[in-house]
Amino acid sequence: MTRPLRTALFHGWSAALAIAFLFPLLWALLNSLKTTDEANQQPPTWFPHSLSLDNYRNLTTFDQGIGTYLVNSILVSAITVIGSVVVCVLGGYGFARFTFRGKSLLFGSTLAILMVPYATILLPLYILLSRIGLGNTLLGLALVLVMFQLPFGIFLMRNSFEAIPRELEEAALVDGCSSFGAFRHVSLRIVLPGAVTVALFSFLTSWNEYLAPLIFLNDGSKYTLPVMLVNIRYASYNIIDFGALQAGIVIAMVPCLVVYLLLQRFYVSGLVAGALRG
Amino acid sequence: MAAPQALKDSLGAVDVARESSAASPRPSRDSAARRPLTGWLFVAPTGIVVAGLFLAPLVILVYMSFTDWPLLGSPVPNGLDNYRSLGDDDLFVGAITFTLVYTAITTVVLFLIAFVLVAISNSARRGVRFYRTAYFLPYVVGVAAASTMWWLDAQDQIGLFNQVLKGLGLIDQPVGFLETPGKALFTVIALVVWKFIGFQVIVLLVGLQSIPHEYYEAAKVDGASTWQRLRYITVPSLKPTLALLTVLSITGSLLAFDQFYVLTHGGPDNSTVTVVLALYNRAFQSFQLGDAAAQAVVLLVVLVVINVIQLRLLRNRES
Amino acid sequence: MAKFTTIVAAASALALTLAACGGGDSGGGTTNANPDDGTQLTMWVRSATDQFSQRLVDAYNSSHKNKVALTIIPNDNYLTKVGTAAGSRSLPDILASDVVYTPNYTKQGLFQDLTAEIKALPYYDNIAKSHLDVASYQDKIYAVPHKLDSSVFFWNKDLFRQAGLDPEKPPKNFDEIYEYAKKITALGNGITGFDLAGNCGGCGVYTLFPYAWADGREVLSADGKKVDINNDSFKKIFTLYKRLSDENLVDSSDKTQDGSTWPANFLAGKVGMLPLGSPIVGDLLKQTKFEWGVTALMSPDGSKTSTFIGGDVAGISATSTHKAQAWDFLNWTLEESQQVEIICKNGDLPGRTDLSGNKYTAADPRTKTIADGLKNGKTPFALPFGDLFNNPNGPWVATIRAALYGGEGIDKALADGQAKIQQGLDSAN
Repeated sequence: MTRPLRTALFHGWSAALAIAFLFPLLWALLNSLKTTDEANQQPPTWFPHSLSLDNYRNLTTFDQGIGTYLVNSILVSAITVIGSVVVCVLGGYGFARFTFRGKSLLFGSTLAILMVPYATILLPLYILLSRIGLGNTLLGLALVLVMFQLPFGIFLMRNSFEAIPRELEEAALVDGCSSFGAFRHVSLRIVLPGAVTVALFSFLTSWNEYLAPLIFLNDGSKYTLPVMLVNIRYASYNIIDFGALQAGIVIAMVPCLVVYLLLQRFYVSGLVAGALRG
Repeated sequence: MAAPQALKDSLGAVDVARESSAASPRPSRDSAARRPLTGWLFVAPTGIVVAGLFLAPLVILVYMSFTDWPLLGSPVPNGLDNYRSLGDDDLFVGAITFTLVYTAITTVVLFLIAFVLVAISNSARRGVRFYRTAYFLPYVVGVAAASTMWWLDAQDQIGLFNQVLKGLGLIDQPVGFLETPGKALFTVIALVVWKFIGFQVIVLLVGLQSIPHEYYEAAKVDGASTWQRLRYITVPSLKPTLALLTVLSITGSLLAFDQFYVLTHGGPDNSTVTVVLALYNRAFQSFQLGDAAAQAVVLLVVLVVINVIQLRLLRNRES
Repeated sequence: MAKFTTIVAAASALALTLAACGGGDSGGGTTNANPDDGTQLTMWVRSATDQFSQRLVDAYNSSHKNKVALTIIPNDNYLTKVGTAAGSRSLPDILASDVVYTPNYTKQGLFQDLTAEIKALPYYDNIAKSHLDVASYQDKIYAVPHKLDSSVFFWNKDLFRQAGLDPEKPPKNFDEIYEYAKKITALGNGITGFDLAGNCGGCGVYTLFPYAWADGREVLSADGKKVDINNDSFKKIFTLYKRLSDENLVDSSDKTQDGSTWPANFLAGKVGMLPLGSPIVGDLLKQTKFEWGVTALMSPDGSKTSTFIGGDVAGISATSTHKAQAWDFLNWTLEESQQVEIICKNGDLPGRTDLSGNKYTAADPRTKTIADGLKNGKTPFALPFGDLFNNPNGPWVATIRAALYGGEGIDKALADGQAKIQQGLDSAN
């Protein structure tokens, strides 16, 4: 095989695969821009005959209106991201740098979160949250989502901190910094990629989580985007507005794509530092 | 990409339950490590969240498993009844085999396809950055959007997949993507590959690129073939990465729920009921919450045991 | 380790406290003179009734001091939502429920007893009896009709015309259904004569039971303890459906159709005949693509008709402390002006038989046909009804699928189904 032929073959295959991966996303976008009638047409058209924002407009009057769901989603995601980053960065540092009783037990328990069947722990969690007054609150929901971020986040942050030479911090300690000061001055900057990775993952999870908001929140006015999405799917006696559904999918996924593309650089180096060290 | 120090010694085992930093290869005994109280302060938030939102509900779950738990009103302790009747739930018992088969297929398929995509993504050719991003984007989309999207796309008349196959002239009649047990399983695995492989690819890629270049150069000098370089440098160096991904894939697949719940509901003919789907059904269709709790506890114990064994095996092989 | 023990101890103590305080006191039924006192009420409905419920709630809120906050929960997760909320006593004041799942809730004590209030209503005798029956448990009534719907047989007059059939004459019996389906499917172009949901238990209950009822079968005994599907009527029903499916006279999605997109093909004008429910009437009235007609579901020989009276009931949850106010809302929804001006005006059915001749329903012969058919209708009752018949992993779906697509014949499918469903009824009663 000649070299240009090999290159052409490589690009042919790679591009075909890339199209396969991207096409469903593109299809949702295209459909969401059709008129409501065209989006519900059988068989579907490939490209919108005329561009329209009808489907998005229809979402503004669906149940509580998309605005409410967006605000709730943003709030829950913000609390979850901040909470996850704070807990994981502090915890990761603690696990990487200190010896204390119960350390491996706590670390093991944290990782065990990955192993519990998610759907079944929801009921006891619900009972617990309503006991401590956090039932039916966005804060309670966010705390639960933080909890589910811990196995990955703590593991990643611990490994990131372990990757930093201790000498740096010791120098700071000698200079009269407290443990916390050393932590703040020296480590934080270096583990930024790891922290960004934790933030990104928390955002993706909290923005997309469906079952938890549905279970933990009792007011329609507190629900988040994914609940709206499923409600469109099960709309009045299965008469589904496919156009609105596609528009909902697009609104749910676009922030994720944007955030990821913006943070891509950090994300990869965060994984390097975190996921790959034993 | 600034390669941190971690890469240099990234060959350690996936030692998740490492006892303490004292046991780590680095023999340093710095002053911080001798202040246990400070250590506790740093992990306190973790401890509070884990104890309050994970361990406490877990205790309630275990308690539930020893009771007849009504929707409303007082639970009645019933000893081991729920555990004794585990075997009577046909759906649950049948789901065990299916879940194991699904886990095996998914894990193997994910790795095979990931290797192809990694080979592409690791190439030095132009445009590779675009391909890499394309393969990863579905991972970012999120479960809610992705599964709704696939549910829609797999429809006979209005769905994308049939539309594409028709457009390519491959079919006249729509393919029922969820029509037979085989097709339903295929469709779910395709969704899982599409949705999750990006993560696998990135992690493998990062692992690959962190293998010190000198190794390969030395091997070249020694006249090693491509195959030998793969066999003696790449694979051994990637071992911890492969181990991590295997553990994640197996645990994730054994707990598979969302993709089946959205796409197949366990059908057709209960051929795609996973263990978690079965116990979810027990809890929230039949409202037998005590039984479901017992099933959940058993599943959790099995998973912990499997993971401990996996990690032990990996650690032993390392040392 | 000490820490962990403490945590375990604390959590166990908590679990025990929870267990101890989960008693079933039945909310404070305050006997205020005027229950419209500005109370904030909460109400849950499943997404199947979203706009319907919203219209009622909006009208109530704009004319009362009490305010009802409506939460719409996806159909598929309604049971999960109720199941998790009940345990921590977080149920709303007003809880709606799909009629077929209602016995589940009444038996578990999720509703407050409304017998006295309901029986005191001047129009008590006219409230849809089938709904009151499923909402009753051990001689007490726990809920009133919220949304009433009824299964019927729709046809597309345009397609009938194109196929050379009389657009004003729907099929009279099973033979004609088959014959017409064949003619309409022959039009080609993706058009099918019929559409069936072969992976949906609820759809089967909704549209197949009435065929058997019309044929004189009880299917489920009144006390919900005996099932009877292993009989000639169901053999005829499944023989027709199997033929329609085998000869591709139905949309290709029939084997996977779990109900979630069932009306889509008919609404797109691609299906000749469709047994479904009155809730799609509102949308059919709005569309202008094709002309349609509606008739009752018939026995195989066409001699009698019947219908499944489905929909939702609403009751006051056992944990509500606003019984009087919540009842004020429920009572209001049953009054004539709301039933007629809000419910019937939109093409839905009234929850009271004395209102079936109202001006909106009577104005269109099609809605009148549906309302008139209610007198032959039934709502089956069994404690584990949803679990046995609607559950996508339950024995009824398995029966339908074995009969239509299994290799062992309809007789064996019905015999197996009969045994499994009866076993489910036995273990629940």
